[in-house]
Amino acid sequence: MGRSLTRRELGRLAGAAGLAAAGAATMKARLALGASQAKVVVIGGGAGGATAARYIAKDAKDIEVSLVEPSPSYTTCFFSNLYIGGFRSFESITHGYDKLRDGYGVKVFHDRASDIDPAKKVVKLAGGGALPYDRLVVAPGIDLKYDAIEGYNESAAKLMPHAWQAGRQTQLLRRQILDMEDGGTFIIAPPPNPYRCPPGPYERVSMVAHYLKAYKPRSKILILDAKDKFSKQKLFEDGWVRFYEDMIEWLPAEITGGVKAVDAASMTVMTDDERFKASVANIIPAQQAGRIARLAGLADKSGWCPVEPATLASKLQPDIHLVGDAIIPGDMPKSAFSANSQAKACANAVRAALTGSKSFPPRFRNTCWSLITTNQGVKVGANYKATDEKIAKIEGFISPADETDEQRAATAQEANGWYRGITKDIFG
Amino acid sequence: MAVPDVMSQLGRVAAGLGLVLVAGSPLQADELFDYGGYLSSECTTCHQLDGSYDGIPPITGWSEAHFVEVLKSYRSGQRNHLIMQNVARSLADEEMAALARFFAKQK
Repeated sequence: MGRSLTRRELGRLAGAAGLAAAGAATMKARLALGASQAKVVVIGGGAGGATAARYIAKDAKDIEVSLVEPSPSYTTCFFSNLYIGGFRSFESITHGYDKLRDGYGVKVFHDRASDIDPAKKVVKLAGGGALPYDRLVVAPGIDLKYDAIEGYNESAAKLMPHAWQAGRQTQLLRRQILDMEDGGTFIIAPPPNPYRCPPGPYERVSMVAHYLKAYKPRSKILILDAKDKFSKQKLFEDGWVRFYEDMIEWLPAEITGGVKAVDAASMTVMTDDERFKASVANIIPAQQAGRIARLAGLADKSGWCPVEPATLASKLQPDIHLVGDAIIPGDMPKSAFSANSQAKACANAVRAALTGSKSFPPRFRNTCWSLITTNQGVKVGANYKATDEKIAKIEGFISPADETDEQRAATAQEANGWYRGITKDIFG
Repeated sequence: MAVPDVMSQLGRVAAGLGLVLVAGSPLQADELFDYGGYLSSECTTCHQLDGSYDGIPPITGWSEAHFVEVLKSYRSGQRNHLIMQNVARSLADEEMAALARFFAKQK
């Protein structure tokens, strides 16, 4: 049961904000002298970064917010499985930054952050510019570890797409599935933990199976997993048997050892003891925090970024916060929902630090919906709180295995509603 | 939510300082709205603030009493929905009241 915020606590929060308020007063004096506003720079325009930029800009008019994102538009990795299965257009999962710019006054720089100088508090841009900041929010998402599977590098990914960073890779995988022969084999290699979107590979299997069953029913799907178990496993496996019969075979790491090497030219996927020939190979390698975070000393030896649970402040560099897939998120999974939730807690902390505004206790939440067919959905989720140690799970839920088709259909409809809701919450 | 000017906000909290020592006294009306605005960001991941319906029901413009009643029926398990039961169990009465105040005033 949640506790309400008493007047005493509010008073204490206001007291804690007192020092920051003095800073805000100093800032007002600076403004009076014609000095610049407090500056926040956000690196990365995905679910975490764009939400942070929007919430800081919307709630604190006296902070200047700049967003650095190379791409002029953002294609969401979440829901890209529906595009791959042919049930959504590419345009419907692609979003621009015009509302953040025009509606919220965010300065959008379509450039790449090439370096961060935490001592001078400046972000350097690949295009030559430099952006000074009072607080920096880094939301770079994931990088793929191209050295994790022998032979799988950026050029191999042009023949065997990962499609785990949405965009051209997603379009390539869709095209390959459309071109695949009836009776061919679709191989997917889900990554080891931790990775972006834990149920994503298995929803992808479901969506590809839905397409193949309708158009290429003699085809097979082979899952060569790096793990021995996966998110919502029983729900997926029950659904696969019911809707796709014997089309799908899942081989856990304990049987194959996982994918060790590929030869993209011959479309061959290799485990310790076997070689598999693929018609389409979707290789999703191990992951780590996006490059800029590692370059700036924000990641630890794990390749991910440790943060203070309540504020998402970096544990390694001052005045820098991190949100989304790049962080070590405690009990939260790496998902767009998590990134959006973390970004709101982060925005609250950044705003309070720079303006002395009230800072409320952070609340964290996640839900991951997955589709098994186009109108059969399942979900898993939880709420979380910041402890001294980590973002800790409070209470979770998962769709029961014995739900009716009507309940599953309602969940699928709810997933679509969520997509509309969260993309508005992220991009305005 | 538009956060009011920093100084006026601090001033309002300061004005309340006389009451701070009274533990657990309820939030004042405008504080309730502001707190609801903060809490609302947890709802707007799914429910759209402009009241649009695209698969998840709109929750704007309800009477405060109805809003609280619905949340309490999820909290008690009388209404059935995995996510909303989880949400409602994480909310104390005053947080429900704050959310009701905020969403009642949208659209």
